[in-house]
Amino acid sequence: MKVLASYSIKGGVGKTTAAVNVAALAAEEGRRVLLWDLDPQGGATYLLRVRAKVKGGGRGLVRQRLRLVDAVKASDIANLDLLPSDFSYRHLDLVLDGQRKPTRTIGQLLAGLSPDYDVVILDCPPSASLVTENVVRAADLLLVPLLPAPLSVRTMDQLLDSVLTTSKGNPPAVLAFLSMVDRRRSLHRRLVNELPRERQDLVDVVIPVASAVEQMSVRREPLVTSSPANPVSQAFAQLWQAVIRRW
Amino acid sequence: MLSEFVVVDDADELSVDALGKALSARVESRGTERRGWLDTFDWRLYRAGLVLEHRESPPGRSVFVLTDLEGQRLARLPAPAGGIPSVDDLPAGPLKEQVMSRAGLRTAFVRASAEGRVGHLAVLDAEGKTVARVAIDGPLVVAGHAEPLPVRIRVEALRGYGKDARRVAERLGASPRVRRADDTLFEAICSAWGLQPGVYRSKPRVHLDPAMPAGRAFGLLLGELVSIARVNVDGTLRQIDTEFLHDLRIAVRSSRSVLKVARGVFDERLRSHYAAELKWIGDVTTPSRDLDVYLLEFDDLVEHAMDPVAMRPFRTLLARQCRKAHTGLNRALRSKRFARLLDGWTDELVASDEPGPDADLPVVRVGGDRLRSAWRQVRRRGNAVTDASPPDALHDLRKRCKELRYLLEHLSSLYEKSAQREIVGELRQLQNNLGEYQDAENQRRLILQYAEELVAQNASAKTLVGMGRLDHYFEHRQAVARAQFADHWTRFDRKHNRRVFATMLEP
Repeated sequence: MKVLASYSIKGGVGKTTAAVNVAALAAEEGRRVLLWDLDPQGGATYLLRVRAKVKGGGRGLVRQRLRLVDAVKASDIANLDLLPSDFSYRHLDLVLDGQRKPTRTIGQLLAGLSPDYDVVILDCPPSASLVTENVVRAADLLLVPLLPAPLSVRTMDQLLDSVLTTSKGNPPAVLAFLSMVDRRRSLHRRLVNELPRERQDLVDVVIPVASAVEQMSVRREPLVTSSPANPVSQAFAQLWQAVIRRW
Repeated sequence: MLSEFVVVDDADELSVDALGKALSARVESRGTERRGWLDTFDWRLYRAGLVLEHRESPPGRSVFVLTDLEGQRLARLPAPAGGIPSVDDLPAGPLKEQVMSRAGLRTAFVRASAEGRVGHLAVLDAEGKTVARVAIDGPLVVAGHAEPLPVRIRVEALRGYGKDARRVAERLGASPRVRRADDTLFEAICSAWGLQPGVYRSKPRVHLDPAMPAGRAFGLLLGELVSIARVNVDGTLRQIDTEFLHDLRIAVRSSRSVLKVARGVFDERLRSHYAAELKWIGDVTTPSRDLDVYLLEFDDLVEHAMDPVAMRPFRTLLARQCRKAHTGLNRALRSKRFARLLDGWTDELVASDEPGPDADLPVVRVGGDRLRSAWRQVRRRGNAVTDASPPDALHDLRKRCKELRYLLEHLSSLYEKSAQREIVGELRQLQNNLGEYQDAENQRRLILQYAEELVAQNASAKTLVGMGRLDHYFEHRQAVARAQFADHWTRFDRKHNRRVFATMLEP
């Protein structure tokens, strides 16, 4: 079982969009995929039309009053299951802090899922917290959406430092990609050309900004299944291939 | 049992549209599909709780679906259109991994097929989320059957929405026009094809009563063996996988062993005729089997023996020789002589009305005598082996061990189980050692034979050096097996085993 996390300290950079579409692509290949929506905002849960509610909340899961697998809901996409968000996840840091191994709890919970799933995708909340420390410890690969802006690059460096510190000598692979790229803007065009050459952790895949992505929240379905021929879907397909190559 | 229903009264109210309306469900798809169910010949997928189905619908949409026995989907993989591709040719992924890991050396091929209407409904909740799926299959036409299989309705539960699926099943079950299915669609299709999923035997399973006349008991065994041989002929001819030939050979070899010890039980003229015919077909199968084994192991051998690229010409030659050997084998299997052997085996030998003088003796007595004799032969040959003995001496011992093993297995119902198992276990260890030695001997013989051919074809020095290394590797394996033989033999021939064997045969 491989654990992939859609991860960024910043919000609104396309984490959930990437997580949902990559999950759908993995499932389409016949892999058994679980998407865990760790964000209390529940974007991925909403997109997959599942009710954002977990019996016993985050506390129940972490303290294993409810088995992770019993909280799972099937999505409408074959092979893709969802562990829904719950508003109580906003206190997940506090719950994790009360555990004996606070930074390894999520990894330990996920280990019990390996007979059921080939891929687990974690959709993370936008923060640097105990939850994200857990994610870094649990993940084999971090998928990091990056806005084409100098400030984002600085944030990326901070993230890499934090990953190195958190992972205690066993860091996950990091795969960053440019997200929400508007080619009408000269800065975006320049950074799209320059950044992949300068940064080895940046894969040469560009997810364009598009109304089709916004439409996802209206259709409540991954773009790669509703419009597989759309250029954004094609870009996500390239991203998924890059993920496979990196594993 | 799963939520699967058979429509007993084909009424309009159970059409895809009407059901969709009645269950407030969305029609997801409907159409006609050509469907094939794949499994290995010995039902390895079914026995592992899996059903692999290929579905093809116009225009050229093709997909593999892997489910559990209750129809719950485990994996799905789009496949290239135009016929059913081999699982080997599918892209790597969980479906292929699951199938290949269960199938092992065997190949999953189409065991049954059908064609007909299908429809899928999605039962939605207030959010528009699918909470249960309903599949409507049929009527399905099975080739060769005038009557199509009746429509089936299957409720598929989705993880986390079990209650919703149960509710749908309860509503369906309340209809007088359906009855709960007592088998799965897969089982029903197989049944229409005259197949029983999971039922396969590569060895005779005959329960012999000790007082049964030996003629009848050996007849039953030979009858079982000929039917095992028969069912493996088609797969051998089509080269579906290498295990058909393997099982066919074992049936032939077992029969030869039975015939050998059945001296005095059957009419001697018939017995010796069929012994000769079985030897003929056994010999005909040997080159194909040797080359099958070589090719099966080739990639592993090359990995740790030498440069794989340099060995390609050798592999190509082996593959060509293997095809040639199978062509010759197929000619023999399609010959009148083989047909006469199979038919006569059952009609003439087993049902012979000219039995031998021992035919009416109790099988426990005849079997005991023959087992003692086989045991003595193994001991005599084993004790005669010294460090200076030629390979043939070990080969001869191996053949005697096989005869003893077949007898022990075929007559197992006459003896106390634990003793019989213990002796077979001990024998198996000895056979493994002898097998390792003999296989290495065969491989080396083939290397030399094919090296000469490759020299004639101007093969590169690298290839020949590689073959030399491979020969050296087998030489080493053979030497190790030879060095270990004495220990294996001492263990087998120890007092304890002799006592267990003697006690086993005591009345």
